Amino acid sequence: MKSAHRRVAVAALAATCVLSGCAKSEEEPATTGAGAAPAASQVVQSAAPGAATCTIDQHGGEKIDLKTAKVGFSQSEKEANPFRIAETQSIKDEAAKLGITQLTTANANSQFNKQISDVEQMIDAGVQLLIIAPLNSDGWDSVFAKASAKKIPIVTIDRKINAAACKDYLTFIGSDFAEQGKRAADEMAKALGNKGEVAILLGAPGNNVTTLRTSGFKDQMAKIAPDIKITFEQTGNFSREEGQKVAEQLLQSKPNINGIYGENDEMALGAVTALKGAGKKPGDVKIVSIDGTKGAVQGIVDGWISAVIESNPRFGPLAFSTAGDFFGGKPVGQDIIIADRSYDESNAKSDLASAY
Amino acid sequence: MTTLTLTTPRRADWLPKYGVYLAIAALIVYNAAFTPYFLTVSNLRIQLIQVAPIIIVALGMALVIGTEGIDLSVGAVMALVAALIPLYLGYGVIAAVIVSLLAGVAVGLINGALVAKVGLQPIVATLALFVGGRGLAVVISDGQLKDIRNADLIYLGSGDLLGIPVLVWTAALAILVVAFTVRRTVFGRRLLAIGGNRPAAELAGLPVQRVLITVYVLCAVLAAIAGLLSVGRIQSSDASSIGLLIELSAITAVVVGGTPLTGGRVRVLGTVAGAVLMQLVIATMIKNNLPPSTTEMVQAAIILVAVYAARERKTR
Repeated sequence: MKSAHRRVAVAALAATCVLSGCAKSEEEPATTGAGAAPAASQVVQSAAPGAATCTIDQHGGEKIDLKTAKVGFSQSEKEANPFRIAETQSIKDEAAKLGITQLTTANANSQFNKQISDVEQMIDAGVQLLIIAPLNSDGWDSVFAKASAKKIPIVTIDRKINAAACKDYLTFIGSDFAEQGKRAADEMAKALGNKGEVAILLGAPGNNVTTLRTSGFKDQMAKIAPDIKITFEQTGNFSREEGQKVAEQLLQSKPNINGIYGENDEMALGAVTALKGAGKKPGDVKIVSIDGTKGAVQGIVDGWISAVIESNPRFGPLAFSTAGDFFGGKPVGQDIIIADRSYDESNAKSDLASAY
Repeated sequence: MTTLTLTTPRRADWLPKYGVYLAIAALIVYNAAFTPYFLTVSNLRIQLIQVAPIIIVALGMALVIGTEGIDLSVGAVMALVAALIPLYLGYGVIAAVIVSLLAGVAVGLINGALVAKVGLQPIVATLALFVGGRGLAVVISDGQLKDIRNADLIYLGSGDLLGIPVLVWTAALAILVVAFTVRRTVFGRRLLAIGGNRPAAELAGLPVQRVLITVYVLCAVLAAIAGLLSVGRIQSSDASSIGLLIELSAITAVVVGGTPLTGGRVRVLGTVAGAVLMQLVIATMIKNNLPPSTTEMVQAAIILVAVYAARERKTR
């Protein structure tokens, strides 16, 4: 028993160490590239003439001043992914910039039930504007019923909800995921010189981001480079660890693979670790991925990744300006698609600081 | 009829003992025929690297299950370790190792005390840290993924010693230590006696509480080692995803390996084989580009067969 007590004492000591902050982490390496490039905010793609819009008269509700409004933001996934960190930060920063003091945020940690109850609590607390990054595209009926009874406009960002715009929700702001897949296919075809074997690291199954990034990539590849064969498709669940595991198996059983398309940056970075472990050199296998996180853009600088298609998470400015226009009586688009940039070796170094 | 009644018990005994090895052999034969580059050193290497953390965790789980317990908190221990390592890596890899082991000891002491002293059911006692441990880890790490650049730590997870990955050496050492503990030490015998019949062990004057606490500490320390090596292997620390669902993989390996959940017996090599079998199933599916849902269904079928086989032996 004596030894057990000693062990408790040691553990307690370690705990005190954590609390008292005697921790010492690794030193960050100096980042290459330009220093204080401004974080690139989103730009709207020019809308087609005659695209559906929505006004406050069509939607219902009263004109209010955004500055004094109570705003609720519901984030869908845990903030382990740089995309989610940047997205939440952008909403908070823009609210602070506009002088909105009454912003409540909640994170559903990838649990859909929690997201529904988060949003319902916000409605009960009397928010006048809801910004939602939906985890799922379906199952929002109870929220819509509550929100429309109080005429609260809902702006959905990054993922779309299957419902009627301007009625159930006000508008959707986000990227065109199929277009991202298409552009990734263009980059892959360019990197491979229109021939070779390509593997896809799929995102989480049953998610419209995965579906669209896959179909966009495949359709475009069949169109522009029929000599590129897609010979392998396995899910890495958008996670770095699983991306690495799957890529290790892939590289071993298909050593002739020429390219890997990662449906997000994390899986592509896992594939880079797998390539290093398999003794490959930068550029032996071409990697193209989607998101535009700092790690992946640094991967281009280091020569491991050929191109990254951006999925811009900085929704704050666009979400609040759209809401401001709406409350001011101006018509707003029902489907606001943002223009995503891309990174390759020509701009990776200079734009590294604006990656998230 | 007489032959039937004679052979039935023999078959029932044979399946849980050797079924897992037979399944591994069948998968290897299938892959040798249909999967390109399967019978190669590079493949063996990758499968061993990927299965090593699961084996390390499953060995600890086998010990706990041998006492008729279960430890759901192993994944949370890995997450805690992953969260703590970046905080102390500035002092060097030794500090990271010490902090990891201490975290394991701390969790093990809590689990052991809840089971042995408070008298909670193991599944409930370890559920507390299953939920709370990962939550704490996410708080410590701010929920953010951190890249690891410390060359020594990366060596532990991704480097080679004499041509064999350090990760595989560690797993091999863990197998030897656990096998020796179970078969040759007084502690091992006490562990099995407690799992077989706890009241009898208490009446016989065995130090039941001390043995139970030690078993939970061992299990958590093994999980901490697996967490440390995994961080070095992935070369980044993500407390919200590392070791996710590994408790289920570990329990599966133990059960498929023929260790009964009712305690009193630990099959160390069977556990290793169980983990290897599940790894081979995953590898086969990925290498042949089959959808992930197929992998899950095959895994479920294997677990059902294993549980069925174990049931047959019990009712013999």
